[in-house]
Amino acid sequence: MAEVAAEQEVNDAELVSRTQGGDPRAFDDLVRKYSPRLYGLVYNMTSNHEDTNDLLQDIFAKAYRSIKGFRGRSSFYTWLHTIATNMTINFLKKRSRSYSMSLDDLDNGIHHDPDFIEMTSGPDAIREVNLKELQQRLNEAMMKLSNEHRAVVTMFDIQGMPHAEIGKILGCSEGTVRSRLFYAHRQLQNHLQEFLAA
Amino acid sequence: MNNEIHKLLRLKRHEHPTPDYFERFLDEFRERQRAELLQQPTLTLLWERIVNAFPNFHVPRLAYAGVGVAAVILSTVILVSQQGGETGRSSFALNDPTPTVNVLPTGEGNIRMPVSSRSDFPPHYVLEARPVSYESPYSF
Repeated sequence: MAEVAAEQEVNDAELVSRTQGGDPRAFDDLVRKYSPRLYGLVYNMTSNHEDTNDLLQDIFAKAYRSIKGFRGRSSFYTWLHTIATNMTINFLKKRSRSYSMSLDDLDNGIHHDPDFIEMTSGPDAIREVNLKELQQRLNEAMMKLSNEHRAVVTMFDIQGMPHAEIGKILGCSEGTVRSRLFYAHRQLQNHLQEFLAA
Repeated sequence: MNNEIHKLLRLKRHEHPTPDYFERFLDEFRERQRAELLQQPTLTLLWERIVNAFPNFHVPRLAYAGVGVAAVILSTVILVSQQGGETGRSSFALNDPTPTVNVLPTGEGNIRMPVSSRSDFPPHYVLEARPVSYESPYSF
């Protein structure tokens, strides 16, 4: 795992260096590599595909403009996620448009997800879960969190980032990340009670 | 209970667009970059070309600030020296060591008129024991 991360950083460093040297194709590779992951981050914070698309364009444009100032003090991954999180939180502070979603956004992979299978067909199956309803309730519950709490939940629970990495991205301590997670989970628990095992 | 929420939230990983969206996204991004490039002022583009022409010529970040400060200091010095020159000219009559000519002897003192070879100087009349005045000599 550590080797993969190290290799990824080497690749990123090379692509960043080539971009700084004026090779736009290197930045294309970075966009290709990070857009699905950043899409997840931004989408789960905004719950709106149009906003996510617009924001993602702005995020990569800003990263491209600022990349000459990137000195490699953190990994490119952390640097890019910091830009994305800050821009998304700023956007959410100003947003007037409400969130929207579509059932089509759920890929077929969810039917093979062990958690989903366990939840819907295991001996402890809580209820017949309607996918659309579940998605709607999850999004509603997420949108009731503060922007900062939603960012932590998105990065930790959905994207599987470690606490330390989240702390670096948000510029806060690991303790703060854990504390935010604790309060966010408690809040989510109230909204998603019917989907949770007794 | 936290683990249950964690499992539930992990299902949101499946909410994502189709893979061809990301290829379209990249095309859109490239187009947007090109459009932004075309909107840039000519001077910015020119500067970028100069910088790109010398890839090994790295200007430290603070160098720009240094050049800016130097430019401000230089322009201040030029302005001050110009103003100083003008002030020097106006007070030239006071300190001018050129010989004076007695024009009209009066009871109060002599009126001295500096003789200057430079024609661009307006004539100055200096009264002894009185400040320099540009007023007409008929006023006293």
